[in-house]
Amino acid sequence: MNPLLTSAVAGLTAGGTYALLGVCAVFTYRLVAVVNFTGAAIGTAGTFVLIALFEVGFPIWPSVLAGIAAGTATGVAIGYIMTRWFGEASASTKAAVTVALLVGLIAVGLRLTGGQHPHNMPELFPGSAFRLAGVEVTIASVLTIGLAVLFTILSDLFLNRTKVGLNLRALADRPMAAELLGVRVQLLSLLVWGMTGAFTTFALMIIAPQRSPNFMTLSLLVVPALAAALIGVFRSFWRTLAGGIALGIVEGLASSIDSVSQYRSAIPFLVVLAVLLWSQREARWDEAR
Amino acid sequence: MSRLVVSNLSINRAELPVVTSVDLVAESGAISVVLGANGAGKTTLLEGLSGVIPVAGGTIAIDGRELQKARPGARSREGLAHVEQGRTVFRQLTTEENLRVSLHPSADIAEAYALFPELVQRRAVKASLLSGGEQQMLVIARALLTRPKVLLIDEMSAGLAPVIVTRLMTAVRKLADDGLAVVLVEQFAALALSIGNRAYVMRRGRVVYDGDCAKLRQSPDELHRLYLGEAESAVPA
Ligand SMILES: Nc1ncnc2c1ncn2[C@@H]1O[C@H](COP(=O)(O)OP(=O)(O)OP(=O)(O)O)[C@@H](O)[C@H]1O
Ligand SMILES: [Mg+2]
Repeated sequence: MNPLLTSAVAGLTAGGTYALLGVCAVFTYRLVAVVNFTGAAIGTAGTFVLIALFEVGFPIWPSVLAGIAAGTATGVAIGYIMTRWFGEASASTKAAVTVALLVGLIAVGLRLTGGQHPHNMPELFPGSAFRLAGVEVTIASVLTIGLAVLFTILSDLFLNRTKVGLNLRALADRPMAAELLGVRVQLLSLLVWGMTGAFTTFALMIIAPQRSPNFMTLSLLVVPALAAALIGVFRSFWRTLAGGIALGIVEGLASSIDSVSQYRSAIPFLVVLAVLLWSQREARWDEAR
Repeated sequence: MSRLVVSNLSINRAELPVVTSVDLVAESGAISVVLGANGAGKTTLLEGLSGVIPVAGGTIAIDGRELQKARPGARSREGLAHVEQGRTVFRQLTTEENLRVSLHPSADIAEAYALFPELVQRRAVKASLLSGGEQQMLVIARALLTRPKVLLIDEMSAGLAPVIVTRLMTAVRKLADDGLAVVLVEQFAALALSIGNRAYVMRRGRVVYDGDCAKLRQSPDELHRLYLGEAESAVPA
């Protein structure tokens, strides 16, 4: 059995989660023009509703549904704040507001969930799906990647084939012109926030058992997610998807090499830096022409 | 028959009064032309009417229903359409998609193509790739498909060739003849006055002339004075 392959495959669940969170970030950015740092925190809130219900003895699947509902509601609440009070603000102001909201969510979340206190996070999908060259591929990893692919395909179909999707694209292009034509701008924006909230919550529920499930670490999964979105330059769903999965694999590989494993959480940072430098290079080249 | 009545409307921008105590009327079948030099407050007036910016005081009503507190989307659903300055097409959408965004259940895209047949062969082209004239036709057609009672148009002739401007003016006249109330903002007066019914001239946020288009057209000297502001005494009481 190839140890390198084993560790690469071990990174797939994380990769799928990064991919899904990244695709959701691109979706939010393209449709409501917000670089959303609270993406993972919204999912985390929903996940902790699941944990809380499960710990007091509720059956698992109703708790999952309640958690997803809570994540959706949190997403809509954040979306309401963003559209109601910061709809006209610049992109950088909006990003800064979501950073502030992230800090607030983490503080409240840690307080409510007892800080670093370990929780009993049920594994929703234990076991392996199939073997790849002698390596077990877990159901969790197949599921997160599948969910990311599904979200990508669905958003594509939704945006290009439906009237609501058409209105959303118009809204993304020129919000005021859309509103002047009677498009229900607020409602559509909240729909975007709610949809991404639901999907991220489910993804986080799957990955939570693999991480130390405390509010802060889960919320900070937004960093690799935004790194993946950056790989797709906040435009391409498929590049973001591939970028997220690649990030997970690289992280898995890094954790198997002793000398670099301590630094593996720096990988998203290095990727962000590399992509930014690369895009700078292109910008300079554009200027030089 | 519909009627837009604006009374005593004031609008501030960055805390400064930009539109002051404006009274204006637009009626089905007629074009109310709003003239004035750069910075007179014409765009601000239209933006206040459609809800792009809030108003500081006064009332806006269509057929007696007051709109000044409603959001832009709600005003649109009450029958107010605003064709903004600068040809605000949805750039990433095709011509036909632009039209579908605003399509009222009782309207038909064919109406847009009947008004501007030029758009038919451009239906699958991204709006950002249309010519200036085509973009202007598109935004007017798009506004029409919301089934408005009142149509506000801001400087549709800016930067377009005279032959296109004449084409657009003819189309707008036809829309009014078909029963729409039109408020037409223009900086270049002659052509607008030739198709309009009632004229308003704005200077520094105030209406300094309110009267017949034909009368104003016959006295270019007075129009010139109104624009430049040496003739406060020429304002009809
Ligand atoms: N966003 C803004 N903030 C502050 N002042 C503004 C703003 N927009 C416009 N103004 C000021 O309001 C006044 C009226 O501007 P407005 O655009 O309404 O004029 P206009 O008659 O449409 O001019 P034009 O013919 O050039 O389009 C100008 O003095 C302008 O400087
Ligand atoms: Mg203007």
